[in-house]
Amino acid sequence: SVTEIRAGFRAIKANIQSRDPVRSLSILSHPQSLHKVKSSDRCCITHQLFTFYVDKVFKHCRTEDSFVNRKISSIANSFLSARRRLGQCHEQNNCPCGEESTEKFKQILANYEGLNVTSAAMKSLGELDILLDWMEKSR
Amino acid sequence: LGGDALLPAPQSISILSTNMKHFLTWSPVIVQGATVRYSVEFQGEYEREYANGSWIPISECALTTATVCNVTDDISATVAYKLRVRAELGATRSQWGTTKGFFNRAMTSLTPPLLRVVADGHHLLLELADMGPSFQFRVLYWRKGQESRVQQKVVKEVSSMVHLDTVEAGAEYCVKAQAHVEAIDRSSSFSPTQCVRAQGDTSL
Repeated sequence: SVTEIRAGFRAIKANIQSRDPVRSLSILSHPQSLHKVKSSDRCCITHQLFTFYVDKVFKHCRTEDSFVNRKISSIANSFLSARRRLGQCHEQNNCPCGEESTEKFKQILANYEGLNVTSAAMKSLGELDILLDWMEKSR
Repeated sequence: LGGDALLPAPQSISILSTNMKHFLTWSPVIVQGATVRYSVEFQGEYEREYANGSWIPISECALTTATVCNVTDDISATVAYKLRVRAELGATRSQWGTTKGFFNRAMTSLTPPLLRVVADGHHLLLELADMGPSFQFRVLYWRKGQESRVQQKVVKEVSSMVHLDTVEAGAEYCVKAQAHVEAIDRSSSFSPTQCVRAQGDTSL
């Protein structure tokens, strides 16, 4: 659940964000914040972002710190479980992908691929609260 | 002891899970005159499917002499997990012993909540035992003899006494409750019903 993901992230947030050398850039919020996404597109972009984190981000976030690795595992497995539930909406066509969410997600991928993979992954993980805040506000 | 093969892997590896608290247990490896230690690792569905089947050590159960490990903090998503444990004696390590099949926290057994009902003047109060952060409670209460007019209250946090209702003097009220875990969308069975009589005289 989002509550559990947030608790897991809160436990490692300072550690992860301290590993982000490029503070001036944002993966999720550049150039436009997630809050600009239309409500009809929210389900789709949430599903896309969960897939993004599962497929691209978590695997490049392994650290030398066992506690941090365990919390990242907890978050990653929670994302997997949450994406599965969202996937059911997708299959029942209750999760339409409009032009806006497609564009927004393309921008996020471009931001991500503009950095080297470890920096991009750590930055994305460090921005998890941006995603969680947006998800909770748009519930 | 020399070489890995001589130290047998732990056997009878299983998970005991009650009320969202999960413990890995195994049988001790006996080596006369020596203290065998154990190390535990876990693997979630994410590690299996997206991280090359990697395993993650649980530091609280690294080189432990106990034959039980609290894995609650690591089994923290509703996906299929595997756990493994090996014996260690000096530089010698056994093969890993791995849980048979997968464990999903949705398999935890849920017990009914412990509760205490109090009639305090005109107030029907309920005290619930704390079962942990994952738990909510569904409370049903009714006036004895009016079983068709059952009322419900959902208690999301157990911090203090719960005020159920104001009651009529001398009448008897009954209460029962079940625990619910949103993360796995399951509920316990109901607790035994408890009835109390409100103070005061009904004939006034």
